[in-house]
Amino acid sequence: MFTHLKAAKYMKYFKIWLLYTTNTFQQILTNRVLMLIFMLGKLSRIIMFMVFLFFMTQGTSGIAGYNQQQILLFYLAFNFVDTLGQFFFREVYRFRPLVVSGNFDFVLTKPFNPLVKVLLGGADLMDLLMLSLISIALFWVGGTGITQNIFSWIGFLALTVNSVILAGAFHLFVLGLGIMTPSIDHMIMIYRDLTALMRIPVDLYIEPLRSLLTFVLPLGIMFTFPPKLLMGLLSWQMILLSFALGLSTLYLALAFWHFSLRYYQSASS
Amino acid sequence: MQKYLTVFAVDWQNQFIYRLNFILWRVRNILRLLMIYFLWNGIFTTNNSIAGYSRPEMLTYVFLVLVITSIVLSAPSADSIGGEIGSGDLSNYLVKPISYLKYWFTRDLSSKLLNLSFALVEICLLWVILKPEIYISPNPLIWLATLVSLGFATPIYYLINASARFVSFWMPENTWGLSFMVIVFMEMTSGMIFPIDVLPDLAQKILQFTPFPYLIFYPASIFLGKIEGWNLFWILFQSGLWTLILIGITKLIWSKGLHVYSSEGR
Repeated sequence: MFTHLKAAKYMKYFKIWLLYTTNTFQQILTNRVLMLIFMLGKLSRIIMFMVFLFFMTQGTSGIAGYNQQQILLFYLAFNFVDTLGQFFFREVYRFRPLVVSGNFDFVLTKPFNPLVKVLLGGADLMDLLMLSLISIALFWVGGTGITQNIFSWIGFLALTVNSVILAGAFHLFVLGLGIMTPSIDHMIMIYRDLTALMRIPVDLYIEPLRSLLTFVLPLGIMFTFPPKLLMGLLSWQMILLSFALGLSTLYLALAFWHFSLRYYQSASS
Repeated sequence: MQKYLTVFAVDWQNQFIYRLNFILWRVRNILRLLMIYFLWNGIFTTNNSIAGYSRPEMLTYVFLVLVITSIVLSAPSADSIGGEIGSGDLSNYLVKPISYLKYWFTRDLSSKLLNLSFALVEICLLWVILKPEIYISPNPLIWLATLVSLGFATPIYYLINASARFVSFWMPENTWGLSFMVIVFMEMTSGMIFPIDVLPDLAQKILQFTPFPYLIFYPASIFLGKIEGWNLFWILFQSGLWTLILIGITKLIWSKGLHVYSSEGR
């Protein structure tokens, strides 16, 4: 009975999410020129950085033990995970004005979990399109030069899901901080800059920064571990640790979110 | 002149209102530097020289990028001009005895001064922590030439950004899109992430005919002593030429834009 009720609740959330997603997709499609410009911009950024990495690794003995194809795979995997996070959690970018204006009241009074709106309620069509292009490049580079082992790819996808959970936890922290300290207006951009550190494998950073970025923040687990598993460079202990950290970070983030809600003052409403 | 000095003084004080915000903005700049620093550091662990750059030269380049971006790319105008035109707030400035373009350039200068002060402290801290081998030219003429190139790079950046934001006169809903494209190209072609001369010759030649390398790459290369003699003079001349061309373009777009400006939203 309990499980049945829970399943019904999550189905309701899924339907609400679909509704929000349809709305944001339609909203984006109202300005196709802008959508095209943004897509071109994002694509150019990825391609230009790949060209740079390509030239840097051509004719050299690689970077810190990784060859050209591996470096490109790290970068594509970074974009894959990063874009997935942006696709699901785009609404977080619009949270601060909601708190500052007091309009968050309208979300809190709705008969469903507010996170469905403020965390997941703004899936972006552009991110979805980017994701499909990045996936093709990722599977092509990974499939032709790294591995065709199906189990490695399943492991890669499982670790990617874990990365999305970690990204969700980070976004939850940003939401919580947005309630507690509305004077910071680009907290999410700090998260973006932090994740941008992972455009290159975490192994390139020196200690103790490397451990900090892997286990404390844990960006290395999010971005470097999935492609490392694909390359056969990740031990099973590290895989287990990744999942354990993913779930515990999500638990902490949810606790912080509930804690921060107590500080919401409904100012300006 | 006095009124712009007042704008500078007021903006300087305003920047201290949201102190935490500013500090976090600086943290973001350091994070960007770290990625580039460790990427190059990684490349040089297995290679002694890349595209004619030794390890100390490249790490100096990375540190120079932090200083140069603080001077050239710190510009609150980039976030405000398009919005003010789109929302009709531009009217508030048009009725005042002040030039809108000079007003925002003055505010940018105030932001640059504050960012530069922080960048110098950050560089010292990072140098103590990372202990990189860096190259500092003892030649005062090189320092002077670098300052001159920065003197051109600052207005070049302002004028590129202002021109891009003026699109708001015609398409207020697409301003951010075009600016985003400009930012993306600037990131990759200005030398912010890598020096342009690591690219193939053809790409370098094409980029020389755009204003972007004059923002970061050329000032940094001049400081590193990579551009000397007649070539140095030629690059400085081209920087000046780009400044004049962009002043012309910006003024033209501004005057055309004012003709279609209808103060919507007011």
